[in-house]
Amino acid sequence: MDQTAELLPGTLDMLILKAVSLKPLHGYGVLLRIRQISGDALRIPQGSLYPALYRLEHQGLIAAEWGASENNRRAKYYTVTDAGRHRLEEETAGWNRLASAITAALNTQPEEV
Amino acid sequence: MLPRLRSLFRVLRARQSFEEGMSEELAFHLQQYTEELVRSGLSPQEAARRARMEFGGWNTVAEECREARGLGPWEDLQRDLRYGARLLRKTPGFTLTALLTVAICLGANLTIFSAIDSILLRPLPFPAAERLVTLYNTYPKAGVVRDGASITNYYERRGQLPALASLSIYRHGTAVVGEAEATEREETTQVSPEFFLTLGVGPAMGRTFAEEETTAGNNKVVIVSDAYWREHLQADPQVIGRQLRVDGRQKTVVGVLPPDFHFLSSAAQLYLPLATRPEDRAARLRHSGGNVTQMIARLQPEATVAQAQQQVEAQNQSLEADNPMGKLLADAGFRTVVSPLHADHVAGVRPVLLAMQAAAVGLLLIGAVNLLNLLFLRANARAKEVAVRQALGATWQHVAREVVVETGLLTVLGGALGLAVGAAGIRLLAALGTDRLPLGARMVFDLRLAAIALAGALLLGLLLAMPIAWFKLRSRLVSGMQGETRSGLSTRAAQRLRHSFVVAQIAMAMVLLAVSGLLGKSLERAMAVSPGFRPDHLLTGQIALPDNLYPDWPARLAFNQRVLDGIAQQPGMLAVGLANNIPFSGANGKSAATAKGERRAAGESPRGYDSYGVDGDYFTAMGLALRAGRFLSADDVRRDAHVCVVDEAFARQAWPAGSALGRKLFLGPTELDDAAGFTVVGVVGSVKQAGLTEDAGQGAIYTPYHLRTDPRLYVAVRTSLPPESFARVLQQAVRQADANAAVHDIRTMEDRIADSLVVRRSPAMVAGIFSAIALLLTGLGTYGVLAYAVTQRRQEIGVRMALGAAPEQIRGHFFGLTLRLLAVGTCLGLIGAVLAGKAIQAVLFQVAPLSFVILAGAAGVIGLVALVACLLPSMQAARVSPMEAFAER
Repeated sequence: MDQTAELLPGTLDMLILKAVSLKPLHGYGVLLRIRQISGDALRIPQGSLYPALYRLEHQGLIAAEWGASENNRRAKYYTVTDAGRHRLEEETAGWNRLASAITAALNTQPEEV
Repeated sequence: MLPRLRSLFRVLRARQSFEEGMSEELAFHLQQYTEELVRSGLSPQEAARRARMEFGGWNTVAEECREARGLGPWEDLQRDLRYGARLLRKTPGFTLTALLTVAICLGANLTIFSAIDSILLRPLPFPAAERLVTLYNTYPKAGVVRDGASITNYYERRGQLPALASLSIYRHGTAVVGEAEATEREETTQVSPEFFLTLGVGPAMGRTFAEEETTAGNNKVVIVSDAYWREHLQADPQVIGRQLRVDGRQKTVVGVLPPDFHFLSSAAQLYLPLATRPEDRAARLRHSGGNVTQMIARLQPEATVAQAQQQVEAQNQSLEADNPMGKLLADAGFRTVVSPLHADHVAGVRPVLLAMQAAAVGLLLIGAVNLLNLLFLRANARAKEVAVRQALGATWQHVAREVVVETGLLTVLGGALGLAVGAAGIRLLAALGTDRLPLGARMVFDLRLAAIALAGALLLGLLLAMPIAWFKLRSRLVSGMQGETRSGLSTRAAQRLRHSFVVAQIAMAMVLLAVSGLLGKSLERAMAVSPGFRPDHLLTGQIALPDNLYPDWPARLAFNQRVLDGIAQQPGMLAVGLANNIPFSGANGKSAATAKGERRAAGESPRGYDSYGVDGDYFTAMGLALRAGRFLSADDVRRDAHVCVVDEAFARQAWPAGSALGRKLFLGPTELDDAAGFTVVGVVGSVKQAGLTEDAGQGAIYTPYHLRTDPRLYVAVRTSLPPESFARVLQQAVRQADANAAVHDIRTMEDRIADSLVVRRSPAMVAGIFSAIALLLTGLGTYGVLAYAVTQRRQEIGVRMALGAAPEQIRGHFFGLTLRLLAVGTCLGLIGAVLAGKAIQAVLFQVAPLSFVILAGAAGVIGLVALVACLLPSMQAARVSPMEAFAER
């Protein structure tokens, strides 16, 4: 039985920011980290990861630098910038508001109406 | 240009490294994932397949990444270029017309500009060339505008004028070079020792001349040009010290000039010291320059031309203070002019070239108006598309950029074609003889010109794009969306704009036509001028004779006799004469002469006259007209008779009353003893010496050859055969007279006269070509506007026809419109033509700048073209069927 959930539109950027804010990561590492911190529940379409990374980099929310991977290969490492960290906070707050509102709405019982 | 290129290069580099980085990053991802899958137990092949599948299409991902990164300005431009190119391809008729218009107009400008660039703009090839000046003596009131400088001037001036860093003289000439039987004539320049120092460019090998080498007899050295060194001295690296036989004397090569050494328009291969004897430097010879010797100087870094001018004038004044001839000099208006060397050298062709460039710019304006018109029509047709795109969020910058890119693409492509047109045009100019203009030989089609042309094309594109973009943006949204397909621009204002285009074109074409008419008429008038002798069947040349083999007059006269006898035996020969100058030889120095008993009014100066020393049957050979008395003969020369022949202009001036025969005259500005006088034995018709357009009645004196003390030698042969065929015979006869002699500059007199008209002929022909193009463009422009008006007003015409208008009325309407535009355009053109005529007055010959015939002719031609252009559209209008016109709605 498949325990994974589809990503909501617009949430991938948020997750990437979160992932690289914990520790500088290369692209594949971002994929693994999101899988790990979501408890394997979120499955990211691999093809859409890189355009998202490039977009965030272009917007100045993350920065990229070439470095050596754990098995000593050249890889591009992403770190969050100050602007990115700021955006992450905003999005997290926004998401929490939205999520609690939707949760509250979905949990409404008939007698409360 | 360079920073631009560098920035483009950086963008391309950045893009390449982006692509490489992306590939590496994506590949790394796939590899990592594959390894993970292998660790989870899949076979390597299966793992790779799974990884690729989950990753998705590589190209799709890469493209999304590129897009996500955002487009740089360069990619934006590329996209716009692709879009523009697609639009242009969709309308081949428009594109071809526009490209050809741009190509022809820019090509014409490029052609003329290449001449302006090489002749007027590019500095002379010397360091700090702007500090080079020339100094020449002028005696305007004696009819001698330019007399060069004398040897005396040189020795008196050098080191004495503080504004000049160095001063030098030179003299062009020819020499016979090589061993007997294998001699060749070469152009030479004799120079004073500072010559190369003054120019700032010295020999690439060896040394310049030393001071002691300017003493006559001590000048056994020569500096050769790079070309001569390569062609005749086998590029010998050990050439310094080698012997070269110049004019029969052994000279030691002491230097080789650098390959790019070009002194003004000189083609000299050998440079020799200008050697003189002490007596040549005497004060009494101060004013005997004769325009043979020229003086150049280099200004001190801080000095100005005005300072040098003032200093040389002050020196003249102090030198002439105790000169008994001081009065004569003052009467002659003597002064010494200091003039920038480059400007002075090209002063004659400058106004012509500028007028040509103005004409080319006029042509470009006509073409640009045509193009603008076409672009407006095109913008109009696409008004709706633009409106939709703006509604969909295209910003004004977007629309403007697209217009700029599309127009720029057109003009730059057209400009590239224009390069080819320009290159062909430059060849045409050379064929017209422009390479014989001062510095004209420098004219080349190089990378620099091409870059300037393309930059001009780009600028033209930008200028054309501005009004189009403005129009597109103004007619946006509302009008475009609401109106019918064609209504985007069909306002009255737009119509007026298009009509004013036609008017402007007609006016400018009219100006060009009038100018070419004036130049053509001038040329015709100049060609119709009689040179004063019969130029047909006349072959002429200059004989170079090593002067050390002929140290005295008897030896020279003996040589003359051998040449005359040798030629006289040839079949097909009618008469042969020798002279130390002939008309159209290019040497136009004048000499002073005084008639015995001549009364000069106070302040009147002795005049300068053309003066010829002649031998053999010179007058018969040239075909001069005898007015009174007799010609000089070879016998007069051998008898050493002090007789002379004058022309009618001289006779009239010196002896206004009574016959000139039997009178006496003296060579020089004053009367001398009777023994030194010459008795006039004949009067002949006047000839033109410098050119057909020179002032009439300059006056001329003919004396026996050896009594003119000018050892140059020209030969003139009248033949019954075509004169060109006589050239070989002439050469052989001269060689036979002396193996060391050589004839050069062999040309028929008709060729000499034709060559002298180059400065008139080339502009007239260029203006003619320009006018033809202008007419074509104007015809096209008028046709385009009217044809558009007809298609646009089909419905209106249909309504009129339905209401009973006859086809003739419709036709008449469009004819009437054309006539109105024509009338306004012609009036404006008349004003422009009059102004242009006044501007080029200086180069006109015997044609008033306001010639009724030419203006009327120009108006007639332009009217004809405009009416022909409106013929087809108005016929179409008259054929509109009301039913069809309505059906289109």
